[in-house]
Amino acid sequence: MELLHVLAQQEPGELAEGLTAVGRGIVYGAAAIGPGIGIGIVVGNAITAMARQPEAAGMVRTTMFLGIAFTEALALFGFVLSFIVAG
Amino acid sequence: MRTRRLLATLGLATIVGLGGADVASAVEGAPPPGEGGAPPAEPIEHSAEECIHILEGGGAIDDCQEAPNPILPELNELIWGAASFLVLLGLLSKLALPGLRQSMDARSERIRNSLDEAERARTEAEAVLAGYQRQLADAKAESGRIIEEARQSADSVKADLLARAESEAEEQRRRNAEQIAAERDRVMSELQSQVAVLAIEMAERVVESNLDRDANIRLIENYINAVGNGSGGPDGAGGQKAGAGSRPRQAPEGNPS
Amino acid sequence: MPAMPSLALEFPPVSHVTEWPSIFGGDGPLAVNKVVILMWISVALVFGLFYAASRKRSLVPRGVQNFAESIWDFVRDGIVMQTIGPEGLKFMPLLVMMFCFIFVTNIWEVIPVAQMPVNARIALPAYMAVLVWLIFNVVGIAKQGLFGYLKSVCFPPGVPKALYILVTPIEFVSTFIVRPLSLSVRLFANLLAGHLLLVSFIVITAALFTVGPGLAIWPFSFALLVGLTGFEVLVAVLQAFIFTILTAVYIAGAMHPEH
Repeated sequence: MELLHVLAQQEPGELAEGLTAVGRGIVYGAAAIGPGIGIGIVVGNAITAMARQPEAAGMVRTTMFLGIAFTEALALFGFVLSFIVAG
Repeated sequence: MRTRRLLATLGLATIVGLGGADVASAVEGAPPPGEGGAPPAEPIEHSAEECIHILEGGGAIDDCQEAPNPILPELNELIWGAASFLVLLGLLSKLALPGLRQSMDARSERIRNSLDEAERARTEAEAVLAGYQRQLADAKAESGRIIEEARQSADSVKADLLARAESEAEEQRRRNAEQIAAERDRVMSELQSQVAVLAIEMAERVVESNLDRDANIRLIENYINAVGNGSGGPDGAGGQKAGAGSRPRQAPEGNPS
Repeated sequence: MPAMPSLALEFPPVSHVTEWPSIFGGDGPLAVNKVVILMWISVALVFGLFYAASRKRSLVPRGVQNFAESIWDFVRDGIVMQTIGPEGLKFMPLLVMMFCFIFVTNIWEVIPVAQMPVNARIALPAYMAVLVWLIFNVVGIAKQGLFGYLKSVCFPPGVPKALYILVTPIEFVSTFIVRPLSLSVRLFANLLAGHLLLVSFIVITAALFTVGPGLAIWPFSFALLVGLTGFEVLVAVLQAFIFTILTAVYIAGAMHPEH
């Protein structure tokens, strides 16, 4: 409906708004690819480590959350960047 | 069960309802449109609403495109946030945390002390126990020594006594033998002296009572029986002689012992 | 209500779910809105918890004292001792307070009536990140001297000489610029995203509840909303933990340079 609305009225402001939304989506989506894979690797290896050495599970879990936090930050930069793009 | 489920449903519904209300209030929280603005029947989009407000505030039409960016901090929130943080940090580190840490330290100190105390008591008890055990072992050794000593002295006493008894017995035996020998000697010598007397007497009697042959024979036999080693005791007149004759017969019995 | 009653899905713009009008105090720099009030309540809650715990001081901890002491133990054993070591114990008040404050300000996200994480506004995370930046830099300079600190940051040992052309700018930027940025943005963006997620699902759930045919999928939406609420509780704890442990890691890095 929104798109029809935009197309029907053809107002430059609204078109820009629509494109901005598309841009936001692309920015966040692209930014989430790498961290998604990265978090998968981090968690996967952490699970391997925990399975091999269950007695070290606590330490591995803490380190895993740290690794997730570092990796996730990139996706969150993308998330924030999508607002910057919009602004 | 049912009431609990009902309560849970109610609670969740409340959360959802409040959530909806929350969003709604946030929406309503936006600056309201102007008093004499658009007619209420016509729905106004939020962006339009904001734009109207901006325009009323004396903004240009381009400002409508620039929505307030959520990544820029609001000054008032920054100030209040910093103030809250610092006030909380100050309050906690001045008023609350020292007490908490003090009580925790006191507790761990106390636990450490009681552990040390227990350890000390245990060491002490072990020392005491070792002492007792040593004393016990000493006492055991002492008693063993005493018993051994007693046994040894008893042994020696026994050996002593045995030796003495044996020597005494030997002495006794020797004395007996001597006595017996002396007695025999005496008896023999007495006998010898008496044999002569008796022979003379016998001769006298033979001569005196030479009445019959039978009497003579019997007399001689009696005499021989009385003097010699005759097994059958002399009867009749020979009885008195037999008493004398029994004495030398003891010597052969005493000797073998 | 919008013009299309069949699709009552009208997602409010981001600014409308996170920005709150001033309640009192005017519109100036001291304006008090919902977020500020939540900050005040958070301060009161955290302070009240620890103050009550420090008042009781029984030998065998129970109730609130036990709770406060287990937080203290968690921060000491799980964060400080594993990153800085025993000499980091002087940062305990800061870290305990940071952990509790961030957690309480986060958890407003799922508390009915409030339902607004304070950290979904960038103000508090940004302020705390700047504070952490100041703290670890001051600690580093105090421990190693200005030039020693800069050298240990920009010239990590064990790198071939030629690579310093590449490594030094990266290290400088990552330590002095990316660290505070990522620290604040991580907290802020996590909470903002979580808040938007919850708002979206609340809007969807509320909309589906009124629409006839949509009611069939309403339970799934509602179940997802409940699940996400639980997830956001996890995020609130996790982000508080991560912010605190990263602070400790940064302080540890400034205290013990890599040899």
